[in-house]
Amino acid sequence: RVTDAQGKAVPYASVVIKGSSTGVSADENGNFTIQAPPNSVLVISAAGFQGNEVNIGDRTTVNSTLNAQSALTEVVVTALGQTRSKTKVGYATSTFNSEAITRAAPANALDALSGKIAGANISKTGGPGSSTKVVLRGYGVIGNNQPLYVVDGIPLNDSRFGSSDNVDFGNGLNDINPADIESISVLKGTAASSLYGSNAKNGAIMITTKRGRSGKLKVEYNGSVNFSKVGKLPEMQSIFGQGWGGIFVLPENGSWGPKMDGKTRAWGSIVDNSQLIKPFSFIDNNIRDFYNTGVETNNTIGLSGGNETSQFYFSYGNVVSDGVIPTKTDYYQRNTFALRTNSKFKDFALNSSFNYSNKKQNAPFTGQGGSDGGSIFEEILQIPVDIPITDFRDYKNKFFNVDNYFTPYAENPYYPLYENKNQQNSDRFFGDVDMNYAFTSKLSAQLRLGGDITNARTFGYKAVNAPSIGSWNKGGNTEGASRAADVGSVSELAQYVGAINGDFIVKYNTGITDDISLEALAGANYYQQDQKSSAASITDLFIPGVYNLSNSLNPPTATDFAQHRKRVGGYAQAILGYSNQVFLTLNARNDWSSTLPIDNNSIFYPGASLSWVVSQTLGLNNSTISLLKLRGSYGKTGSDADPYLVYPTLAIGNVGLGFGNLTFPFGGVTSFGISNTIGNLSLQPVITTEAEVGAEVRFFRNRLGLDVALYDKKTKGQIITVPIAPSTGYTGLVNNLGLVQNRGIELALDAKPLDMKDFTWSLTYTFSKNWNKLKSLTTGLDNVILNTAYDASLIGYPGKSLTGIYAPVPQYTSDGKIIVSSTTGMPIEAADKGFYGNAEYDYMMGMLNTFSYKGLQLSFSLDYRKGGHMYSGTADLLNFTGNAYNTTYNDRRPFIIPNSVVQTGTDANGKPTYEENTIVIDEGAYTDYWYPTQNKAGSYYDRIIEKSFFKLRDISLGYTLPSSWASRIRATTLSVSVYGRNFLLWTPQSNFYLDPEASNLGNDLASELGEFRTAPTSYQFGVALRASF
Amino acid sequence: KKQLDINQNPNVPAVANGTPSVVFPAAVFGTAAGVGGEFGIIGAIWGQYVTQSAFSNQYKTIDAYQLGTADYNRGYRNMFANGLKNYQFVLDKSKETQNWNFYLMAATMKAYTTQVLVDLYDQIPYTEALQGTANLTPKFDDGYSIYQDLLKLLDTALAKPLNPGILTPADKSADLVFKGNLDNWTRFANSMKMKLFLRMINAKPQEAQAGIEKLYADGAKFLNTDAALTGFTNVKDKDNPMYEQNIRSLNTPDNLRASYTFTSFLIANNDPRAKYFFGTPAPTAIHQGDYTGTNSSYKTATVLVQRPDDPVVFMSAAESYFMQAESRERYFGGDGAKALYDQGVLAAFAETGNDGSAFIAPGGAYEYPSGSLEEKIMAISTQKWVACAYGVHYLEGFFEKNRTGYPKTSAVYSELDNNTVNPAYVPGEFVTSKNSVLGPGQLPKRLVFPLLETQANPNAPALVPITTPVWWAL
Repeated sequence: RVTDAQGKAVPYASVVIKGSSTGVSADENGNFTIQAPPNSVLVISAAGFQGNEVNIGDRTTVNSTLNAQSALTEVVVTALGQTRSKTKVGYATSTFNSEAITRAAPANALDALSGKIAGANISKTGGPGSSTKVVLRGYGVIGNNQPLYVVDGIPLNDSRFGSSDNVDFGNGLNDINPADIESISVLKGTAASSLYGSNAKNGAIMITTKRGRSGKLKVEYNGSVNFSKVGKLPEMQSIFGQGWGGIFVLPENGSWGPKMDGKTRAWGSIVDNSQLIKPFSFIDNNIRDFYNTGVETNNTIGLSGGNETSQFYFSYGNVVSDGVIPTKTDYYQRNTFALRTNSKFKDFALNSSFNYSNKKQNAPFTGQGGSDGGSIFEEILQIPVDIPITDFRDYKNKFFNVDNYFTPYAENPYYPLYENKNQQNSDRFFGDVDMNYAFTSKLSAQLRLGGDITNARTFGYKAVNAPSIGSWNKGGNTEGASRAADVGSVSELAQYVGAINGDFIVKYNTGITDDISLEALAGANYYQQDQKSSAASITDLFIPGVYNLSNSLNPPTATDFAQHRKRVGGYAQAILGYSNQVFLTLNARNDWSSTLPIDNNSIFYPGASLSWVVSQTLGLNNSTISLLKLRGSYGKTGSDADPYLVYPTLAIGNVGLGFGNLTFPFGGVTSFGISNTIGNLSLQPVITTEAEVGAEVRFFRNRLGLDVALYDKKTKGQIITVPIAPSTGYTGLVNNLGLVQNRGIELALDAKPLDMKDFTWSLTYTFSKNWNKLKSLTTGLDNVILNTAYDASLIGYPGKSLTGIYAPVPQYTSDGKIIVSSTTGMPIEAADKGFYGNAEYDYMMGMLNTFSYKGLQLSFSLDYRKGGHMYSGTADLLNFTGNAYNTTYNDRRPFIIPNSVVQTGTDANGKPTYEENTIVIDEGAYTDYWYPTQNKAGSYYDRIIEKSFFKLRDISLGYTLPSSWASRIRATTLSVSVYGRNFLLWTPQSNFYLDPEASNLGNDLASELGEFRTAPTSYQFGVALRASF
Repeated sequence: KKQLDINQNPNVPAVANGTPSVVFPAAVFGTAAGVGGEFGIIGAIWGQYVTQSAFSNQYKTIDAYQLGTADYNRGYRNMFANGLKNYQFVLDKSKETQNWNFYLMAATMKAYTTQVLVDLYDQIPYTEALQGTANLTPKFDDGYSIYQDLLKLLDTALAKPLNPGILTPADKSADLVFKGNLDNWTRFANSMKMKLFLRMINAKPQEAQAGIEKLYADGAKFLNTDAALTGFTNVKDKDNPMYEQNIRSLNTPDNLRASYTFTSFLIANNDPRAKYFFGTPAPTAIHQGDYTGTNSSYKTATVLVQRPDDPVVFMSAAESYFMQAESRERYFGGDGAKALYDQGVLAAFAETGNDGSAFIAPGGAYEYPSGSLEEKIMAISTQKWVACAYGVHYLEGFFEKNRTGYPKTSAVYSELDNNTVNPAYVPGEFVTSKNSVLGPGQLPKRLVFPLLETQANPNAPALVPITTPVWWAL
């Protein structure tokens, strides 16, 4: 039995026979049973306790007392899935246990860690099953910046299958059931992850899964049900009603009309000589009422058990989540099965893990509608503030149907909601077999083979929706405007991705002298990934309502794509220890990749780290300082390219127009031209170099701890397709692009201000700040454009942040006056775009407080991110429609742009001369002032907003029932908790629009531009039950 | 090492598979997507055939002459990367294999595509262009020297022996313009030469004259059929690019409405082509650029009729006749000019399904004038302007206005403040857009260099205002 200094049970301690791989885990009461030869030494360790070694002699019962909470012996999972004592690690790591991950019962494991890791930017981008964005230590790469996810030593595919800017089916991490996770270690730095090679250049997130324990059969149940409500929604102006240019106009899709007077008036289309009536007044919560309450259930049942030689863990998890959008348009259903076994036979151990995940998901279409059909969110934003949105629910009603919806400029939002669909079914299998053989107590070998296979089938359609001739929306309205028909579409996508990963590792541990120890390993890695996808789509449906690729006037457009990559690597690591005080780790890896030029496909990268437990050296352990550890590391990681970027090719001769395309085959002819992207025969690998120093200091018997890290990470030679001048005959060149630097500071503080017998208060606080800089670009390039929405762009300029947001700005005179057009009175656009701010947060802070009183536990975490800018397509549309709060400037009366001048001519030297501007933006032009077509120079100030926010990320109140109660239902432990997620959002006053975390532009660098008419975020509250038997 | 040699993309053909007939259609698409896509729309508005609707927004920046470097870059990109690069590939390949048939096709299309770009931007990269990584920052050449080189290229191509016998059926269908009719290609190449020379009448009058005289001295034959990309169907992405872009793929299909400049001319002359272009013999028009206007008739302003199967005309038969008429008038004392003018008008009417013979008959509205050279040039140019409304060929109407000054620019705006027509306005004369951001009386003459080029090519010259005429323009 394992107990702490007070004699209380230490649950789940690990017990290993020294010099072998044989081990068991204690149960939650600290009891364990192990078959060990006499005179064996048992190594006993547990998270939060100092390890202990016990020579059992010939005893059959062993009691071990562990000294509480010494960070010294805390164990972290490092690269290649090797566990190390934290002492030996020369870089910053953060580790979270199962309880921390599942406290607020999220469906995605990383969602629980938002705001809790210094140096990690974690955001959920949308509704059920949507992607989670994780960026460690800033954007270093133009391209994929997501960390490598590693499950039990096997890299996990994190692709976003079937997703695009407008439809998000989530990232690969979503396929893991959080309830199956034992712990997560976050390796932020390059030195930490470099042994993983290629894929780990952005850091790695090491996931250790739950394993069975010897002893009786144990049943564990985790269940939760929660409800979600729509979160922040745009704040609308409440003064002016439907119309345009200051006049009430029946078919207009904006609120540029007269002031609302509350009088009852006719509105909408005229159908059969009749019209609807309603008061001309502002409708509160108009958009909010469109949404309903989402429901999510999340249940996992786990079985585990075994004897001393073999243990198993089996679980089945089920999540059913319907989001806040009415209908099952945002819907996520996941079934997961996991089977894990651990077996030992003398010196041979075999561990296996098999995981299967099945997903059914519906994702809403966000962004901009196309000729095949509309986008719900875009349609909602175009409803004047005096028109009740929920009335339109009856979208087949004669006043609200396609013929007679009030405006020809937009579509009834309920139409795409009920009639259009994007759905995905995916099956995923991943797992590994891990074999270990101990030749001697010093020398062992490990062979690990893993696979990860996903099959995803994505299906989407949009219905035909054409106004009939002569109807209100086909020219019959008072403006004579017509709505183009939605011609409908069907698209099918089948994707397969399979990866195999194998490692063979030889490990050798020895004490060279009494003071000097050596831990060494050497290994080889093989990685292979194969992809195949087939996509087909049609537009112009022939028979409405039939969603099959054959149902079109036109032949389907079909593409298929195959991709293969291989990589082999060899690596070695040595950890030299001196007197358990100083540890020096040296490592090196060499990869050979198929995706690099064949004669130059080798990447070599070394690393080193040093850690020094100063407190041990100075014998401080019993002073106020319980631990002082200094660490430093330097590491390199090399990364290969995507396949097929080396050789030139032909490409189908299709041409993109501003809208639509011109495609082959054409009249029985097809054609291939020279691809517009040039491959690069001298492509180099991407090398990330990182230096890190840090210190960990703990005071007052570990009651207070501080961990500081400073890092300087340089990523050189990113491989991207650089836009090149079309006059070269090409539009893109695959190239190694310059150098990006991320420097930053991370601070983590943990404290236990109160630690009484029945009551404890513990808190952790994290702070991080990252300085991102594009140091240089390949010769001949001025900048790199990463994403664009209308005229707003995310651009990196050398010497500045990679995430600058630029958009048109007015021309100014030398004394700072805005120059306006002498005809329109609107600002004249400056020749160059202006800088609006960086997308990157200035800094991030998080705080987690936990209060425990007997069986009660209250915890809440706060997340604050300051600064940063984003472009908002929601703001753009609301400023266009006059629904936006800020469009009541000057009560919409005529005004002259303040502090502006017009050019009168030029003086004798050819310099322009100016006079004060007297051109009034009148009622008719007022509307134009808020939209880029007429006021490109001035209107981006209303579209680029500050991203700062403060969130109560999660809060939970849990109660562990006394075991006497639990035993009544034959449970060993029983706990219930109520929780909330993403409650309380504070944003700066200038953000009238949305939760700045919402984005439909993916989960990587390009998404930092902002959002384009995305779905709103939601908050959840629920109750969770945990029981084990 | 062999294990790792798996990096040849299995999804696309290798460059070695590229032959002239495989690549040529892709190049023609590049040209058609440029002149028939964004450039077509700009040409239609700046040529004052159509104007932006008062109830939508899409093209306000074009009608306000507010185009900056970031606007409408696709035409430039498509013409260079899809058009010119692939023509160059065909030229190189056909030279290698002595396939002079494809050499002539590619040379003529390259000349046409380059000419449009030069006429829009005045200077473009040429001698150092199309070299990929060998030169990522090609220098810009002036328009005149590019013209000279294009003429040289056409001469070279025309001098080579053609061999219709080696054209396979696949080659013929790959010739999306003339289906392997090499005689038409020779005519098109000669007409391209005539067009380039005529463009030079203001800047290089002697050279223009010498060039055209030589064409006739050599007995050159000129185009008598449309050089166009036809075969579009009412299928997404297989239809006319301007229809695809402006109608099918845009949510609002009625942005482009009849411009008073164009319709006033058609109506004043009772021209039946109004019905072809606008669906009604008496279109209701919006005065050019008056999209903020309050004229109550604007609600019902006539939408431009676009058809999915409209061709993209590179050079029309009518245009060829009008050029020949102008050449005869300028350099041969008018010998044969009237007949060519009449042919031009008839061809232009015929394309719209109308018979123009009554119009050119004595006393007809478009009867060839007997007065001064200038009057004749004005008649030819005006008819060419109308003819360019067919086949999304608007851009040529805009260019020719800048070359000849016809149709004339009106001294007054076509509409008074009280929403009535200005009695001083002469139907068909160009006006400055109501919402112009330029100075009074100014019209756009060119495009500014596109951002796609300037941001990646430090050799791009400083921006020139859009009011500055290109090198050959008035």
